[in-house]
Amino acid sequence: MAPSLLHPPSQLSPGDALQLSQQAPILLQSSAGAASTSLFSGLLAAPETAALWIQYENLLLSCLRTGDQRAAHLCLERLIARFGDENERIMALKGLVKEADAQNTGELENILKEYDQILKENNTNIPITKRRVALLRSMGRLSDAASALVQLLDFSPTDAEAWSELADVYLVQGMYPQAIYAMEEALVLAPNAWNIHARLGEMQYMAATAPGAASGSYQKCMAESLKRFARSIELCDDYLRGYYGLKLVTNALLKEQNKLAKQSEEGEFSLPETKTIERLNELATAKLSEIVRRSTAQETGWRGYDKLEVEAARKLLSDEATAASAIER
Amino acid sequence: MAQVPVQTIHRDPQLFYWILFPITLVMILTGVLRHYATVLMASAPKKLDQRAMREQRSLAHGVGVRSNFHVLSRPSFVARRDALTTAYESGAYLKDPERRGQAPPNPMSDPSSMDGMMGAMKNQMAMIIPNTLIMSWINAFFSGYVIMKLPFPLTIKFKSMLQAGVATKDMDPRWMSSISWYFLCFFGLQSVFNFLLGNDNAANQMAQQMGQMGPQGGFGPGVDPDKQFLAEAENLAVIEHYSVLDGVEDRLLEAIGV
Repeated sequence: MAPSLLHPPSQLSPGDALQLSQQAPILLQSSAGAASTSLFSGLLAAPETAALWIQYENLLLSCLRTGDQRAAHLCLERLIARFGDENERIMALKGLVKEADAQNTGELENILKEYDQILKENNTNIPITKRRVALLRSMGRLSDAASALVQLLDFSPTDAEAWSELADVYLVQGMYPQAIYAMEEALVLAPNAWNIHARLGEMQYMAATAPGAASGSYQKCMAESLKRFARSIELCDDYLRGYYGLKLVTNALLKEQNKLAKQSEEGEFSLPETKTIERLNELATAKLSEIVRRSTAQETGWRGYDKLEVEAARKLLSDEATAASAIER
Repeated sequence: MAQVPVQTIHRDPQLFYWILFPITLVMILTGVLRHYATVLMASAPKKLDQRAMREQRSLAHGVGVRSNFHVLSRPSFVARRDALTTAYESGAYLKDPERRGQAPPNPMSDPSSMDGMMGAMKNQMAMIIPNTLIMSWINAFFSGYVIMKLPFPLTIKFKSMLQAGVATKDMDPRWMSSISWYFLCFFGLQSVFNFLLGNDNAANQMAQQMGQMGPQGGFGPGVDPDKQFLAEAENLAVIEHYSVLDGVEDRLLEAIGV
């Protein structure tokens, strides 16, 4: 899919982001005045659409990412001219540009103080709250970021973005149960999001295999991880991450199947039969190699996969193949 | 069967330029004016303070957990259910916990709900005043004329609608009076306004009336949040938990097959 300015650019590869930000001069010229104030020309000109302002916002983000500060400032000026200084979203964008302009930690501290000031005046300003969290995180103050997020989620518990950010903050600190809890909250808000299901599976797998993890919970975590990956594949056919995770989990389970206790506690997920695990492993292997083969051959309908993910899947498969041949010898 | 003779009325051709055209123009201009007046008068949506937002969204959180409980495993669902029901029952999420159990305040005396009513009032006024003015203007200047003949035949039922103000019994319903033209414009200019002002304009009165019927987010006036919290706690408590992850691996193997 070609990159478009109508989608938020956070997931784009560096090349695509660069390509987008190079469109900046064209877009900035083509809609020169943008906000016309006179009534007459307002009647005659094409009606203003929300798409234009979304484009400006995404262009601003892409330009900041590629270091085109001049175009970013131009976008910001137009957004301010249209929506005013006091708009919450504009305030967050202004803060973002300032953060990008900052040269050293002292300036960042000043921006942080400004955010605190804004929040003191209006403590429901969610965009600024999120900017503050992001700034704290990028300054390395992870526990502050986590507690700010917890505060935000106390008065706005239906914010899936904040929950998943919180999960990520906990995860990098190695606090797996908290991260899983936060991710589950995001899943409650978006029950059919296959990527969140797969992410939860990954978290459970990490929690199970992390050094120092409680050995009692190993089996429970692995069981849930396996089920989460299976659910994500059920929701999205040929989902590479889902199959990759399924393969990893079933590999680990098959390797130590004799160590596993048979019975688990009431109400928790129990591992499926060894035979089922084997079949799941076979399925994942078959599907992964199909995805790798077809997406490498650039067949139609198989092109959307991330290159790095396909590469990782190929590596997983070839590692296993060499291990298997070593055993045979 | 005798052929009904075609009625002919000799009209001054100038009628078209001096009545039909001005009425249409005035209608369009008032529509545009009304749109801008509404935009100018619109008060910014009222800001919720933190505690009110917390109250609303906590309830929504409970509703979310209740409707999507199947994505959770049993232990994590039970933990959430217990935490939520305890908080709901103790009133931890209420905006002002000390008012708990008292009758809800009278919406007429609450200044915040007064604001909303004023807004609705302003919109009504922006609609009623110009309509009254134009109507009396047309009545004063142009009443009693037949101004045009529609190019298509109509049944007799349309007579009262199209010939309002012209009390002639035998006249073909195709003849139209000025006040009827006004009504036609009144109802039929929506697409013109869409073209001029964009899709979500405030020029048309029909759309506005529809909008007022729409659902109001959050707690309406006179609803006791405490009662809603208690009802939600009960809803959560009666859930029979199952998980979508139960047997998912068998489902997957069956669906895809090895």
